[in-house]
Amino acid sequence: MIKCASYDVVFREIPNEVTLALNLSLCPNRCLGCHSPNLREDIGEIVDETLLTNLINQYGKAITCLCFMGGDNDPLLLSQLAHFIKQNFAHLKVGWYSGRSKRPERFEDADFDYIKLGPYKKELGPLDKSTTNQRLYEKQVDKSWKDITSQFWVLPSFL
Amino acid sequence: MPTTNQRDILITKRDGKKEVFSIEKIEHAITKAFLSVGSFVAPDTITNLLSRICIKKDMQVEEIQNQIEEALMAERYFKVAKAYMLYRQKHFEDRATRDKLTFLMNYCKANNAATGSKYDANANVENKNIATLIGELPKQNFISLNRRLLTDRLKKMYGKEVSEQYINRLNQHFLYKNDETSLANYCASITMYPWLISGTASIGGNSTVPTNLKSFCGGFINMVFMVSSMLSGACATPEFLMYMNYFIGKEYGNDYYTHTKDIVDLSKKKRTIDKMITDCFEQIVYSINQPTGARNFQAVFWNISYYDKYYFESLFENFMFPDGNKPDWSSLNWLQKRFMRWFNQERTRAVLTFPVETMAMLTENGEPKDKEYGDFTAQMYAEGHSFFTYLSDSPDSLSSCCRLRNEIQDNEFSYTLGAGGVSTGSKSVLTINLNRCIQYAKRTDQSYMTFLEEIVDLAHKAQLAYDENLKELQKSGMLPLFDTGYINMSRQYLTIGVNGLVEAAEALDIKINDNPAYLTFVQNVLGLIESYNKKYRTKETMFNCEMIPAENVGVKHAKWDLEEGYKVLRNCYNSYFYIVEDESLNIIDKFRLHGAKYIKHLTGGSALHMNLTEHLSKAQYKQLIKVAATEGCNYFTFNIPNTICNDCGTIDKRYLHECPVCKSTNVDYLTRVIGYMKRISNFSIPRQEEAQRRYYDKMR
Repeated sequence: MIKCASYDVVFREIPNEVTLALNLSLCPNRCLGCHSPNLREDIGEIVDETLLTNLINQYGKAITCLCFMGGDNDPLLLSQLAHFIKQNFAHLKVGWYSGRSKRPERFEDADFDYIKLGPYKKELGPLDKSTTNQRLYEKQVDKSWKDITSQFWVLPSFL
Repeated sequence: MPTTNQRDILITKRDGKKEVFSIEKIEHAITKAFLSVGSFVAPDTITNLLSRICIKKDMQVEEIQNQIEEALMAERYFKVAKAYMLYRQKHFEDRATRDKLTFLMNYCKANNAATGSKYDANANVENKNIATLIGELPKQNFISLNRRLLTDRLKKMYGKEVSEQYINRLNQHFLYKNDETSLANYCASITMYPWLISGTASIGGNSTVPTNLKSFCGGFINMVFMVSSMLSGACATPEFLMYMNYFIGKEYGNDYYTHTKDIVDLSKKKRTIDKMITDCFEQIVYSINQPTGARNFQAVFWNISYYDKYYFESLFENFMFPDGNKPDWSSLNWLQKRFMRWFNQERTRAVLTFPVETMAMLTENGEPKDKEYGDFTAQMYAEGHSFFTYLSDSPDSLSSCCRLRNEIQDNEFSYTLGAGGVSTGSKSVLTINLNRCIQYAKRTDQSYMTFLEEIVDLAHKAQLAYDENLKELQKSGMLPLFDTGYINMSRQYLTIGVNGLVEAAEALDIKINDNPAYLTFVQNVLGLIESYNKKYRTKETMFNCEMIPAENVGVKHAKWDLEEGYKVLRNCYNSYFYIVEDESLNIIDKFRLHGAKYIKHLTGGSALHMNLTEHLSKAQYKQLIKVAATEGCNYFTFNIPNTICNDCGTIDKRYLHECPVCKSTNVDYLTRVIGYMKRISNFSIPRQEEAQRRYYDKMR
């Protein structure tokens, strides 16, 4: 089971996308210096196909991507939900921000376009610090995964 | 008169303080009045006079003095009465001078010009000095004069009752007359054709018609200054780049944009075509951003437009320059982009407020029809440039001012007036304080729609009275801009402004987000105004409705309403359809709240300032332009505060807390709280607070 504590439309997490980010609770990770420790609790609404359908319909084609922020307690369910999204909302890309260092065993990534791996380590900093341990991968046309973390370190074009 | 308990009676002094009533003071005043005409007053006379005076609790000093006047006349001491009246008048004048002096001292001590200004806090002035102070002093006189002009006219047109009703509603802050400190009509988008065929002579200037690029640049600056001095608000020149392009073509050939690296200057500098052009940009932009003596040291408010191919074609398809040439899209396309890029770059060198730029694009199927311009617009936002975008699914309207949207009446070309579509504007703005109206109706157990209708009707009558006065001015030859065709009277609107819409809905316990109750409220209120706009429309008089930016009115309304005990949740009313500090709304929600169904009745427009802490990528801006087109949000800008270092002067397009060059934390921000970019520290203090509180969407 996964639960959604809140959601927002964000721009930084996934480069070049307008992303509906679902902040998932029940987080099993215990990162030191976690920015939202409340997400470890059992809070929010159960995420199922109905909830996703309603949320996505609310924003229609205004968003280009849906990203699960967390959900490490039930990756298999995330894969199923990602599949559901791709089947029903073909225009949407799907992302997953995981706190794990590695993908879970037998994890089905066919329906994901972005996957972020790596726990938050205070001394190494978040994705926009070049010292970070976290990695964002983007699926390429040939289905391979490319590390695009360095995109977070690029200065805006006008500088 | 009561004598037994006179010691208990408190009266009200001019400064509002209470004082125990003293009969000796009255006796003293009467004695002095008699002495001033060379006579002594007998004790009996004093008793007779005092018996005519009635003192009540909390009575104002003025009222007691009125009674003394009347008593003197009733007892037939006319000479003494006259002396007493003159004495009072002299003191009244002294007090007025003293008040002005106090204001003068306070203005000198205020932190900046906007906070010091008593009447017009949006004053687009960087620094306060003797010139700005000189501009401040006569403002109260203008207000009195404008009120008198309007009430006299209202009396003539609709009778004494309506005239008095107007003044009452104004004084009770149900209505607010914008720009009452100026005598001139408000703002205009002008056609420059009259200038092209007869120079500035017809409007009182001395420059002849522009004949080459150099005389175009110099003459254009003069012309904009002259036009602006006859307007109280903005001057838009939507044809600026099109005309400039024509003169560049005359100088370097119509295909100049294909070889801009050619050296065309015989001086040692060996300037290229591109350098010659950007030097012209520099001359015009820096000149127009100068403080202007004739406008109380404010810069002129200058607006320009860019067009996509489709807008250009529909606005100028029939246009012809006096020599028979037609405007050329290919070179104008290059020039528009060149100007925009140059201006974006130049803004890292100096604080340049003007021109306020609007990109006008036609949309089709929820995205810009001209893909090249849709792309370019997103690119410019991604490069950190700050400008407005106007979207429309048909070229029947244009926004050429920093906020005003106008329906295009006709696109005909005239050999004397040029392109018809660009000539428009607003003659006068009269704003309704919706929060006050709705809370007052609630307080007095009336239907708010019925009460609002009374106010809306009154506002239209007042605007028609203003219009009549303007026509009188024109008849006397006072408005050469109209006579010579720079502005077309019949294409100008009378604008009904609204302020406190969000606050009014909150007072009715309506949630401020996209929900049926809020939508119904917005549509009812704005729909009512639109129905009156139609009702009062004649062949020569048009109305529109605008959500005003309320640069200073928003602050004043909040203050006045609070003083009268109304529910006021913030000290500056919103100029948006959402609460500016509300963190629960995301960017898409905000576009939706400024989308077609909410702005439907705002025929005069409203601008969505999308506040962000960080710049987005081109792909993201492109997507958001699509969102705006789909939602029907026709006018918006992205607002990312730029950082300016107070120590080394560096300007950075990012929102930073530390100067990237000298590492100083003494930084200020440039932001578009109102129509134009300005330093936050030059806003009035309540506006600065609003800018602080304003929720900038974090990108996380």
